[in-house]
Amino acid sequence: MFTTSIIILGIFLCAFGGFVVYDLATAKKHREVYRVKSSATAYLMLLPAVILAFLFILLPILYSLGYAFTDYYLLKPNDINFVFLENFAGIFKEISAKGMLYNAIKNTVTFVVGVVPLQIGIALLLALFVNRPGFGSKIFKVCFFAPVVISLSITAFLWEQILAPGEGGLLNAMLGIFGVPPHDWLRDPKTAMPCIIVLSAWQGCGYQMLIFLSGLSNIRKDLYEAAALDGANWWHKFWLVTWVGLRSTFVYILITVFIGACRILTQPMLMTGYMSHTVTLSYYMYNIGYTERWVGESSAVALLMTIFIGGITLIQRRLFREK
Amino acid sequence: MKKLFTSITSILLAVMMLLGMTACGGDNGSGDGPSTDAEGNTIVKIMFHVDKSSTEGQAYQKRINAFNDAYKDKKIKAQAIFKARSAGASGYETELQNNQLEGTLADIITFDAPNTAAYANSGLLHDISNLISADEQDKFYSLNKYNGKLYGLPIQESSAGFFYNKKIFRDAGIDVSGFTAENPWTFEQFKDVCARLKNHGVTAVDMRIDATKDETAPYLLYPFIYAAGGEFVSEDGYTATGYYNSAATANGFQFIKDLISAGYTSYAIGATDFFTGKVGMYLSSGWTIPDLDNKYREQFASRDDWGLLPYPKGTEAASATGSWSYAITNNHHEDKTAALELLKWMTSAESSKAITDATGMIPARKDAVKDYAAGSPEYTLMKQLELSGKERPVTVAYPTFSTTFNQIIAGLGNGDVNQLLNAATSTLQDAMNKIKDR
Amino acid sequence: MDKHLRDLPNFRPNRIPTKKTVKEVIYHIVGIILSLIFILPILYMLATSTKSEGAYAQSVGTINMFLPDFANSGVAFENYKSVLLNYDIWKYAINSLTYAAIVIVLNILVNGLAGYVMAKLTFPGKKLLSFLIIFLIVVPVETSIIPLYSIVKIMLGLKQEMSVLGVILPATISIFNIFLFMQFFQNIPKEYEEAARMDGANTMGVFFKVIMPLSKPILATVAVFCFIGVWNDYLWPSMILPSADDGSWPLLPIQTALISIKSIEGITTGEIMASLVITSIPIFVTYVAAQKYIVQGFGTSGLKM
Repeated sequence: MFTTSIIILGIFLCAFGGFVVYDLATAKKHREVYRVKSSATAYLMLLPAVILAFLFILLPILYSLGYAFTDYYLLKPNDINFVFLENFAGIFKEISAKGMLYNAIKNTVTFVVGVVPLQIGIALLLALFVNRPGFGSKIFKVCFFAPVVISLSITAFLWEQILAPGEGGLLNAMLGIFGVPPHDWLRDPKTAMPCIIVLSAWQGCGYQMLIFLSGLSNIRKDLYEAAALDGANWWHKFWLVTWVGLRSTFVYILITVFIGACRILTQPMLMTGYMSHTVTLSYYMYNIGYTERWVGESSAVALLMTIFIGGITLIQRRLFREK
Repeated sequence: MKKLFTSITSILLAVMMLLGMTACGGDNGSGDGPSTDAEGNTIVKIMFHVDKSSTEGQAYQKRINAFNDAYKDKKIKAQAIFKARSAGASGYETELQNNQLEGTLADIITFDAPNTAAYANSGLLHDISNLISADEQDKFYSLNKYNGKLYGLPIQESSAGFFYNKKIFRDAGIDVSGFTAENPWTFEQFKDVCARLKNHGVTAVDMRIDATKDETAPYLLYPFIYAAGGEFVSEDGYTATGYYNSAATANGFQFIKDLISAGYTSYAIGATDFFTGKVGMYLSSGWTIPDLDNKYREQFASRDDWGLLPYPKGTEAASATGSWSYAITNNHHEDKTAALELLKWMTSAESSKAITDATGMIPARKDAVKDYAAGSPEYTLMKQLELSGKERPVTVAYPTFSTTFNQIIAGLGNGDVNQLLNAATSTLQDAMNKIKDR
Repeated sequence: MDKHLRDLPNFRPNRIPTKKTVKEVIYHIVGIILSLIFILPILYMLATSTKSEGAYAQSVGTINMFLPDFANSGVAFENYKSVLLNYDIWKYAINSLTYAAIVIVLNILVNGLAGYVMAKLTFPGKKLLSFLIIFLIVVPVETSIIPLYSIVKIMLGLKQEMSVLGVILPATISIFNIFLFMQFFQNIPKEYEEAARMDGANTMGVFFKVIMPLSKPILATVAVFCFIGVWNDYLWPSMILPSADDGSWPLLPIQTALISIKSIEGITTGEIMASLVITSIPIFVTYVAAQKYIVQGFGTSGLKM
């Protein structure tokens, strides 16, 4: 591992050197001026971050992505062989056979499509709700953020009690008042994913609410006054002033919530266990990599997932970025 | 300011250089001989899966201290390493595999019984078939065997059974005093008791079919399949087809499905329903005994209010066994004499008694005599182990077995048993083939 | 009063008070109901920490889950007392606070410097680094904990005393925080820096004397999330740190202590919840205290992805 790390460091430095040379060579074309002293200061200031990021972030990621091309089995760390694309062949076989991985992809897509608009929507509504002075709204702001900081094991246990099947479940008990028969929310494939979506949106939206709030605080008040003079109604004001003002905040939130949603792992793990109707890509990776110990195959899924998330993120940036 | 910055960066750099240096120089103890300390004592390292401050951890430490006193003259010294198995599956095993890589694997490790096959297959564990005499082996309720070879000895046992609410049984006029570990009830008698409990107006039994997130449901429910005459995998652990989906195995799962269909049990039973007197029987391991003794005084004032029934018998009797065990590892120490001495010490009748006195579990040895009163819950668990204890299937693909078992149990409510079994079998068989090729 | 309300065309400051009061009351009722939905876990924690095991078992699945057990107020006291006296929670809390303090300082320094360079300075090779920042935010890290463990173990050698560094060093770097700093610094007008440079300050001087004092909101934001991160982390520390030895001060942080408390034989759910309540307090205090800054921290940065 030590030698490999040195080699990777070498490659990294070469790549960086290449970019430096390229930038210097094309400096004139791009009308950039690089000063030796200022560049040196820049490198020096970056050094701690670069060293730490290389050791603790880049290197582990490169290793884990590199394992995608090996038959790494967790219990045989001294016997890792290069198998080229075998893991990927296995992945496509599993998908075409509609195995667990197929379900994982399906559920992850369901989750992302459901949670991204829901969580962002709730966060925006909450932000608009508390965006006023006064003691009450301050308290509400703190309350809405509470699930973000509470340990997930507590919230998961609580939701299990709420969604418990039979009359013992709080939700069933409440619906029972209106004569709705009890339902097994988490074991029914039709309702399990929607429940996990709602739970996750509830859990995370406080964070996005804060970011929206900061976006709102940046909108100039005179824009509302101007709109009012033009006789704009509530909706016009929201659409033409608030929404336009929140645009860059929205893009940021969209991308971060999307990335987070693609990686959903803990909620299905704690709520249902490894079941075909709730397994997600990250859970599949966790199960195959740690529980079944196939690190190589797990890393292959991770690699594909990275490419996929990266691709969608780039598309989102293209679509929504201010021109 | 510039000074401050330069000093900070240089400190950071210095720290990293230092760390790099220690990494290069980290090549210690890769010789073939045993490690020795300054006084010439042979050092044996043993790694436990629990926190040192826990009751169990302290019991281990006491036995290690006693070992060091007893072996002072023979110049063997044991060192305990405690690496609590954290909530994630990854912690303890990542530690093991990294120790393996670094060449720092302890001489003895503790491990969960179902991992025997995978660990032995990967060369982690040392074959102790010839080091432990046949007489000695006979003294244990269960052994960690793989491919006919012995790889580990259990620390303690934790069998399971049906806890029942005596008050409810008295009110319903059900007499179960005849069902003992020596003379277990049958599947039919079990269903009969369930029917009478249901008629009495309570949920008959919490079979824990909702506990399919972890090892709980597999551990508690696999004996039913053996009791029905079913099997899971072939002897070598590499074939599931024809075993996992055999007719007898299907009968075992069908029995559980029948209990659901008849309304005797369900997925909707709350985790605390038995403790609040809403359920007649509760399938659980020996861990529940101290809870009932201490925690739920309102419902269960004394042992007159609750009891323990054995697993019911189908074509044969079977009960849950297999807990954490000790194994000697294949580390860089070629000479296993000292490790063997420590293993024998830790699995002796004396250690077995001392450790189970602290944990409240059943000793792994038959000769670690505990004076359990006949008919007491502990007695039932111990007798059951002796008479019908049968371990979980031995296969390298155990983790896949466990997840597929959970999927079957979760699907029993609406699914067809044979369909579920066929799906599980093909998943498990695929996993087995993959490991066999590796 | 709502900032937006003030801007509405039909807004009249001298409106009939009753109508305004009705609006206010409705607003607060809606707010309280919404808040209750979001603080359910806290209510559950607080309520359960006052119960005996039997009372807790009775309450599960009913609305009593969220209501304290008023009948036996002594139990609550007992639960908290037993947690504080029997298990050395405070030792682990001090560990976590220490780790958090070191991590916050180093994190701000390391990532702040990097964010500043990326935002304000031009140097060859910047494009590669910008690309790397986005790439490292996007890439999933689920499988990277195995190599990370090996790297840290190789770096630190096998000495247990060094393992504390294994907890601190990986936590000091956060690509996401570099990104946040970068965004924030980009919005600080050039004029401030130029003025300082006129006075003869070098780049480092500008960073510490001009940029840092202007960046309180983002510093508070990063500090709070660092703190929450360190305080809630348990898997990594429990892998990397040795288990406590008798007598000596433990090295493990608070969450690992909570996990082992949960597995102690005979502990009641009430006691577990009492320990969770106690350990949640620092997080809440920090968050409430820094909330104003967090909003500003995200706000002024404009956050362009």
